[in-house]
Amino acid sequence: MRVPHLLFALLLLGSPLARGDTWQFEYLMMPSAQAVGTFDRQAPFTQFYDEVVQADNLFTIQRGPFKLFGEYLLSDHEGDLERLQLGWQLSSDTVVWMGRYHQPSSEWNHEHHHGQYLSTSITRPAAEEWEDLGGILPQHFTGILVESNHAVPNGMYLRTAVAGGLAPQLTSDGMEPFDLVHPDHNRRLAGYQARASIHPSEFADTGFGILAANDELAVVSLPTPRAFGLDHVDLTLVGAFGTYATPSWKIFGTWYYVRAGLDYADHLVHDRFSVGYLQVEKRLGHDFTAFGRIETSVGASDSPYLQLYQEAGREKYIGGLRWDFMQRQALTLQLGKTDTLQGHFADIRFQWCAALF
Amino acid sequence: MRRLLCILLLACGVFGPVHSASESVVLVVRADSAVKDLSSVEVRKLFLGVPVLVDGKLLHAIRNRSDARLDDIFLQQIVAMTQEAYDRQILVGLNRQGWVRPAEVGSVARVIEDLYVDPQAVSYMWLRDVEHNPRLKVLRTLWGE
Repeated sequence: MRVPHLLFALLLLGSPLARGDTWQFEYLMMPSAQAVGTFDRQAPFTQFYDEVVQADNLFTIQRGPFKLFGEYLLSDHEGDLERLQLGWQLSSDTVVWMGRYHQPSSEWNHEHHHGQYLSTSITRPAAEEWEDLGGILPQHFTGILVESNHAVPNGMYLRTAVAGGLAPQLTSDGMEPFDLVHPDHNRRLAGYQARASIHPSEFADTGFGILAANDELAVVSLPTPRAFGLDHVDLTLVGAFGTYATPSWKIFGTWYYVRAGLDYADHLVHDRFSVGYLQVEKRLGHDFTAFGRIETSVGASDSPYLQLYQEAGREKYIGGLRWDFMQRQALTLQLGKTDTLQGHFADIRFQWCAALF
Repeated sequence: MRRLLCILLLACGVFGPVHSASESVVLVVRADSAVKDLSSVEVRKLFLGVPVLVDGKLLHAIRNRSDARLDDIFLQQIVAMTQEAYDRQILVGLNRQGWVRPAEVGSVARVIEDLYVDPQAVSYMWLRDVEHNPRLKVLRTLWGE
């Protein structure tokens, strides 16, 4: 039985426990379209696989404390069930999920997921990029996720998330997460992630936190010819993140320290590097928002792990302007300059995005 | 003249409180609902789409959009944010955890009908719309003039 069928069946089997409750449904579509141009290209790979037209579809089917929550992304180059989670609301503060989820050791994922409308910038930081768009850290897992939000002394709120599940595999096209619709029988290893942050109120954007993860990536086809004999990669991640938000300013960033062990048939290669970003947003008058982001790294240039990804970036600078010209619709112009491991390029993007109930 | 003043004072005394009480917004559930009370924090969470459970049962919020003044009171007193911030919070909640946003209903009669059929439903309305209705229970006053 395929996993989506299993999750639907579990929802139906669990529904007698919610006897007396009514079924509830929710659907949200976040479409976007963008024009991308690259120039000053001195790098062989320039992240030109970015989706140009996409529709992010979110749905919830809920009965009592049980819910089925999904996210299906349809774009000009893929149709992918990004998230499909069967949830059990243990209490008003805690929910347990089973299924395919976005790894929680990323504050960017927690805030935005695939929704372009909810992101002020058009592109994600390279450290947070999706696997099929040249990402260097695994983002989609299939397993168990527990999310919680508790009041703690001094009127503060503690948000936590812990998860464990099947990790993506490494292939000649980069990382490939487990596909719920077209499951394969390749060897997969496990990954575990955790995030904890403290906030001054339950719905405050402002907050600071720490994260950790240990993910093992099985190699099923060689990412590059030089990786001959590579069996799996053991990634350990620790980091910190923070957000400071006022009605007119938002400043947020994340720093990851990554230790990678590349396990070859006859030897082990140790690697360590750091990646991070800092984004600043300023709300101007007339529904305009200016933004800028710096992405940087330490030890990336000679990282054996990052050499497995042809598009891996070392540094990136972006700046732009977003205009929320009508309710739940926005236009964004973004300029960027990227230094990859193999060169550099600049890009200009123009995007329309919306959120439609 | 003194008699007229007395009549006016009496009129204020008799009709004043009724007028004031009618200008209250109250939190309402079905009369046989298991919900006995909700704190202002729980009410805020409920109308922001956050799951709120009472005795293991999930509550269902109904946003009463039958008049513009109620909308203002909803934003100022219940969720304490602008319409823009409220819209964004609803989107964020759905995007993060699949929260179901409160149902939006445009007439008081329909809100009352929805409360009749759903024991987990919670809504708010003017006191004058609910007083003397034995099928509904007022939990608390959310706003009063």
